Amino acid sequence: MTILSPTSIDEAVAALADPAIQVLAGGTDFMVEVNAGHRRPDKVLSLRHIPELRTWEQLPARDDPAHVRLGATVTYTDMLQPDLAQLLPALAHAARTVGSPQIRNAGTIGGNLATASPAGDTLPVLAALEAVVEVASPLGVRDIPVATFITGPKRTALSPGELIVAVRLPLLDGHQEFRKIGVRNAMVIAVASLALAVDTRTRTVRCALGSVGPGPIRATEAEEWLAGTIDWDRPAATTEAPDLAYFGRLVAGAAQPIDDHRGTAAYRRHAIGVLAERAAAQAFGAGSAA
Amino acid sequence: MSGTVGAPVSRIEGLSKVTGEARYAADFPLAGLAHGWIVQSTIARGRVESVDAGAALQMPGVLAVVTATNAMRLQDVDDGELLVLQDQQVHYRGQTVALVVGDTLEQARAAADGLPVEYQAEPHDVLLSASHPRLFAPDHVNPNLPTDTLTGDVEAGLAGAAVTVDHTYSTPAEHNNPMEPHATTAFWDGDRLTVYDSNQGATRVHQALVRLFGLEDSAVRVVSEHVGGGFGSKGGARSQAVLAAMAARMLGRPIRVVLSRKQLFSLVGYRTPTIQRVRLGSDRGGRLVALDHQVVEQTSTVYEFAEQTAVFSRVMYATPNLSTSHRLVALDVPTPRWMRAPGEAPGSFAVESAMDELAEACGVDPIELRIRNEPVTEPEGGRPFSSRNLIACLREGASRFRWAERDPRPGTRRDGQWLMGTGVAASTYPARSAPSTASVSAQEDGSFIVRLTAADIGTGARTALTQVAADELQVPMDKVEVRIGDSDFGPAMIAGGSMGMASWGWVVVKACRQLIADIDRCGGVPDDGLVARADTADDIAAQADLVRHSFGAQFAEVRVDVDTGEIRVPRLLGVFAAGRIVNAKTARSQLIGGMTMGLSMALFEESLMDAEFGDYLNHDFAGYHIAANADVQRIDATWIDEEDDQLNPLGVKGIGEIGIVGTAAAIANAVYHATGQRQRHLPIRPDRVLSP
Repeated sequence: MTILSPTSIDEAVAALADPAIQVLAGGTDFMVEVNAGHRRPDKVLSLRHIPELRTWEQLPARDDPAHVRLGATVTYTDMLQPDLAQLLPALAHAARTVGSPQIRNAGTIGGNLATASPAGDTLPVLAALEAVVEVASPLGVRDIPVATFITGPKRTALSPGELIVAVRLPLLDGHQEFRKIGVRNAMVIAVASLALAVDTRTRTVRCALGSVGPGPIRATEAEEWLAGTIDWDRPAATTEAPDLAYFGRLVAGAAQPIDDHRGTAAYRRHAIGVLAERAAAQAFGAGSAA
Repeated sequence: MSGTVGAPVSRIEGLSKVTGEARYAADFPLAGLAHGWIVQSTIARGRVESVDAGAALQMPGVLAVVTATNAMRLQDVDDGELLVLQDQQVHYRGQTVALVVGDTLEQARAAADGLPVEYQAEPHDVLLSASHPRLFAPDHVNPNLPTDTLTGDVEAGLAGAAVTVDHTYSTPAEHNNPMEPHATTAFWDGDRLTVYDSNQGATRVHQALVRLFGLEDSAVRVVSEHVGGGFGSKGGARSQAVLAAMAARMLGRPIRVVLSRKQLFSLVGYRTPTIQRVRLGSDRGGRLVALDHQVVEQTSTVYEFAEQTAVFSRVMYATPNLSTSHRLVALDVPTPRWMRAPGEAPGSFAVESAMDELAEACGVDPIELRIRNEPVTEPEGGRPFSSRNLIACLREGASRFRWAERDPRPGTRRDGQWLMGTGVAASTYPARSAPSTASVSAQEDGSFIVRLTAADIGTGARTALTQVAADELQVPMDKVEVRIGDSDFGPAMIAGGSMGMASWGWVVVKACRQLIADIDRCGGVPDDGLVARADTADDIAAQADLVRHSFGAQFAEVRVDVDTGEIRVPRLLGVFAAGRIVNAKTARSQLIGGMTMGLSMALFEESLMDAEFGDYLNHDFAGYHIAANADVQRIDATWIDEEDDQLNPLGVKGIGEIGIVGTAAAIANAVYHATGQRQRHLPIRPDRVLSP
């Protein structure tokens, strides 16, 4: 087995011209597949030694609103650090629920995207925030919105020879959170997960679901209903509370769950509605933040 | 001088373990060591038609591909799982069909991964059901207990009972999963075989290898200095030891075989799934007039293992009419074996849940119900107990847990999204001893060396035995070195059946007392030292015919999310009566560990059979969930002072297993108390809470 460890994105992209080469980031999915015998790489491209992939920056308002740009190998542990967590709280919530400290030290945002597991913990957050994936190839860099980047369970819009180099997430002004149900309290794959983000400037609510479909699902009907129901001009506590149970039902209706050994489809649909109602209550209920 | 037995002594080998100095079976460096990797069948039933080793043998570093066609012939033993590569039959998916040996682990594994194996597959039968047409009554259940028992007339008792409970409870297949996977490093020196092996008792592994390879006792040495857990799955020899020894013989090189986590799910045993029907009949006050406990479980077609699931009912409660039965079906599945309190752990879930249902039906407090049904003598057989302190444990626990303040009504306590409840269950495990041998030598410098084939699988046994010997010899612990885990020290009991400390402690006490008598007779320790040897076979054979059991009471508090069905366990308390406790620190750790496994059994652990492929599909820690730190909140274990002079010279009953017994029922009963919904099937997953 050959292992290449380039130190720049350009070198990495050049190496990807070889169609047999397989990309290794944190290895938390890759190595499981190797150990299970599902992946037998002859040539591996390790991203570990590319410093520019490992950093993140808060960009000035190139567009409106401002963005955070995360290099592809930014780890879950990085997402938990206070400076980044205060900019992207839902992403930090999601990162905190991933694996154990060792897994969080190794696993990366680019890896979570490239694996595109229906249960990928950051994916509902990326979908809710309408993140943009930056993908490099010898032809240059192109942007792919997350909504089109993930094309199915463990399938992405990456073409051969393309490398995820960064993810851009807008900085919103409003409440954000991530919720997850698993069988136990830690180190567990989501049975259902949900990200909710409020943007008071655009007066929008974004809600994306995980583990209840082939990829992250935006509950657009529920989002629009909730955004149209709440009174954006007055503090939550002073207005009549929106019917959050109805919001939960709309979200549950957007789910496309299946039965598997971690839970039934019926349970998943029920649970995602509960998560939605609770997240919305946190955002818009009595005494809420938004 | 004051004794150390009972004191909270830290593990002697703790520092060497945390610094990595302690050597486990796969840690011994040997010149010329080669590595074996097991190739497993991809069908559940049929025959291996061919294994094409040609390409594998051309791969770098590959030394051999051992299959049924070229494997060394073994002598017959009564455990088919050890007769590896002796024929082409496939009995379950994951069975060993070849061993690839390479200079490095990676080379062996690479060749094993691509090894072409052709099969003649046959339809398989892998699903247990209570109506399976091939159910049969085994000759006996583990270890050698009656399959069925009957006292009185259960049907008549139930027919005349004022209150009856009749429900079926089930527990899933569960896998032992010790932290250290099974591993063996083997080498031959002429006709003498040495293995470094991870097991719960080197004596049994020694005996198996002697028989399999047709050797003299003195020609085999099994060394197991440190072992990283077993939970029953290392109770006897496992096939990796046979494969390592066989390959080492065939190749003339030291061979190491280490199982992967995934391979543990097929090759080393697990707990059978159980389907248990429990029928209770009582008067209006909850006094039992009949108890019937019928168990259905599985075994493999390779080796018959019948878990003694219903034996719990034979000792727990007084009733004039009592029947227990076990029915088995041999499926095309891996062989189930001992796992964490085999018998009592799943059996107590069913019976202690049913007792809670009876308490509810009679309107009697669950603790009072158990007190009302306390027997004077063993309910099945009528023998006296050497000691029995269940009621004392229940009362002590009730006091510590503030049980008296409990409102018995189910489904009425709510804190925000959480429904809250508490539950109790009783616990028991046999307190047996088995013959063992040991030697103690007095050194010229005033120190002593104890040698016996005990095993410390993480329990603290080495430390506890050092305390025992130091007290007997009346010297500080640092004057005593206890050497264990070496079959050259002579036969001894395994670390299993909660019998280790009772058996080893007994023989160590006997050997120490013999040595002291010898020193007295000689007027001191002679210049060349003095050695005393002891064997407890005769002492154990001469024991009175009593029922010896430890007992305990498990208390649980749960919070159940009313909307999602998620369960949290903020509090667990176990109170045990287990005779004398030798080391308060390691004993508490062991009991809390058992209770944590009980929590894990209640809420998480479940091996799911894929009927199409005939294999457990969640065979890694991503899919097989064991309680994590975040799942355990306040947990405490304590014990009452119990003196019992009918056990062994130390008066210990053993604590290896009682911690897990009853825990799952206490949690299930607390979930009922929280929600008003009875949970009769483990694990209690969130989706089952919402739709039981």
